[in-house]
Amino acid sequence: MNKHSKIFFTAILLQFLAITAFSQAEKNDLSLSISYFNSNNHTQYLVAHAKSKIDGKFQMIPNINLSFYIGSEDAANLLGKAVTNDKGDALIFIPPAAKDEWKKSAKVSFIIVSQKTKEFDEAKGNVEITKAKIQIDTLADKKITATLMELKDTVWTAVKAIDVKIAIKRLDADLNVAETPTYATDSLGVASADFKRDSLPGDSKGNLTLIAKVEDNDVYGNLSSEKVVPWGKSIKYYTEFDKRTLFARRGKSPIWLELLAYSIVVAVWGILFYLIGQIKKLKQLGVS
Amino acid sequence: MESLAKQKIIEDLLPQKFGKVGKIWVGVLLAFCTLGLVAYILQLKNGLVVTGLRDYVSWGIYISNFVFFVAISLVGSLITAVLRLSQAKWSTPLTRISEIIAVSAITFASLIIIVDMGRPERFYNLFLHGRLQSPIVWDVIVITTYFFVSILLLYFPLLPDMAIMMKHKDVTGMPWLNKMYTFLGSFWKNTAAQIHISEKAINILSITIIPVAFAIHTVTSWLFATTYRPGWDSTNFGAYFISGAFLVGAGAVVVAMFVFRKAYKLENYIKDEHFDKMGKVLVLLALLYLYFNVNEFLVPAFKMKKSEEEHLMGLFTGEFAVVFWFAISTAMLIPIIILIQKKGRKPLPAFIAGLLVVVGSWFKRYLIVTPTLLHPFLPMYDVPKSYTHYFPTWQEWSIALGSLAGALLIITIFARIFPIIPIQETINEIEEHEQA
Repeated sequence: MNKHSKIFFTAILLQFLAITAFSQAEKNDLSLSISYFNSNNHTQYLVAHAKSKIDGKFQMIPNINLSFYIGSEDAANLLGKAVTNDKGDALIFIPPAAKDEWKKSAKVSFIIVSQKTKEFDEAKGNVEITKAKIQIDTLADKKITATLMELKDTVWTAVKAIDVKIAIKRLDADLNVAETPTYATDSLGVASADFKRDSLPGDSKGNLTLIAKVEDNDVYGNLSSEKVVPWGKSIKYYTEFDKRTLFARRGKSPIWLELLAYSIVVAVWGILFYLIGQIKKLKQLGVS
Repeated sequence: MESLAKQKIIEDLLPQKFGKVGKIWVGVLLAFCTLGLVAYILQLKNGLVVTGLRDYVSWGIYISNFVFFVAISLVGSLITAVLRLSQAKWSTPLTRISEIIAVSAITFASLIIIVDMGRPERFYNLFLHGRLQSPIVWDVIVITTYFFVSILLLYFPLLPDMAIMMKHKDVTGMPWLNKMYTFLGSFWKNTAAQIHISEKAINILSITIIPVAFAIHTVTSWLFATTYRPGWDSTNFGAYFISGAFLVGAGAVVVAMFVFRKAYKLENYIKDEHFDKMGKVLVLLALLYLYFNVNEFLVPAFKMKKSEEEHLMGLFTGEFAVVFWFAISTAMLIPIIILIQKKGRKPLPAFIAGLLVVVGSWFKRYLIVTPTLLHPFLPMYDVPKSYTHYFPTWQEWSIALGSLAGALLIITIFARIFPIIPIQETINEIEEHEQA
């Protein structure tokens, strides 16, 4: 290899390294986190969140392929796979197949792993929760109680000094039952609230759905429990659809409009038919 | 035996064969009709994509033509009904001209609506599934009604003339025409009982046609005014449309008066006096329409709401300004200036003024329809460039011109077959005058 060839190949190698280094520098770090949810003590699911700092701002990252594991990152412990949506979230329900791994301990860990993409390297996230459950109940005088229990070894034990949200479940958000949104549990694991929302619109039977929640707790994750109570005001849903209106479909035009229109048509066309009759009369007069 | 004067009237007013000019005129009209038909076949074959109509401007010159035809058809009620009921005897020679204009215009108004449809074979669905709440259904009902009222109003006064035509079979020179006269009016014996029934029927029709005529153009205006768009969102629209319709109809009658007088040498029947009187009617109607125009444009311009600014400024000083001021000038201002003077109400200047009214009124209809569609309240966003402007394609021009030629052809052929001035009524009026 002569001197010129050495310089040439060195330049090519340097250029390759520079491009590789540049392309690696272009990749942003992907941050993965995971939340555990237990709804009504029987539906358990995980929600993963993918975000990255791009141009100095955190942005939610869609279309990231994620694998969810329980306990360890073994193929046998794979719970499922999901892809993040536009909000950077991916959800899976914990399948019954994970029952054995779930029962091993009072504490369970979940792991998520992302696949390597053009934009991001492989990333991981994990969460460890202590198994817990919450139970909502009602007493006389519209008193609401929520009892929080955690699993210690094999025994359910009351948890004290945890904030529990007690609210009425509405379409998009929760409505406080009184002035205070959250209530701390006592030594028996019970949080109590008084229902002070009289005449609140319920369904057609006046039913409201009460909900007790532990939200984003570092130890227990997200727990919720619901109960339907007849404490609301009965609301009959009224719709103009299928009524006789100016905006209804054919066959549902207002009676007054039909009467008006048809009477005008009958009156005018009655005159026209009368006049056609007069032509017939003229013919008879001309023949006789 | 018929008196000499009566004989002269009959000879003067019987339909005449086409001369050289008449044949050329019919040939030109037929050529335009054929061109329109060819263009329509192409449109049927390839769809509305051959037109300049797109998502925003879905009503172009077809609907402008429709509104124009509906407007011009109103003259039947003005001359025949209003003037007859007000006992303005001078209008007798003009009644049949105005009625045939009304019939031909309303016929082509109905046809041009179908032309505007992308799938005309689905037209029957309007009757099967049309909503009574929709002004479009009202329009279909009222146009059909107006057509039949106008046909009857044309037919009843024609019966005595039909009997005269049958007496002069040799003049027509065509056996099939004589057969048609026999079919349509052989029963007319001019008896007192028949005259009584006929006069009563004409009076009933004259009364009936006025509300129907008002309804037809009010409903047409509601096709626009019941939608929420700049320029159409107006409570003034019904009256605005009716005043404009009377104006263009009267203008068309003046034009037709001049042409028939010239072509059939009817100077003894359509006199200078008729031009003078129709000129005064035109001035009145032009002033009335001008008043509604001032209301229609000055009030929104004074407020100049942001959402309507683009539309209004487009008309006053923007892309439609030339057409806008042309229409205002030719349909109203210049005719008023011509006809307000006595010498302006002579036949030729009145004819020119009438022609200006008709041409200006067509462009006025174009301005009512198109600019509004190009200025929706919600801005056009991310649409193809062809959606943002409108200019008719040759197919649209051909169909529009073909429909105008078709309307003129109906009038021309009617004048070839039937007396364009009522013969019996003219004789009766002269006899009444002599007796008086």
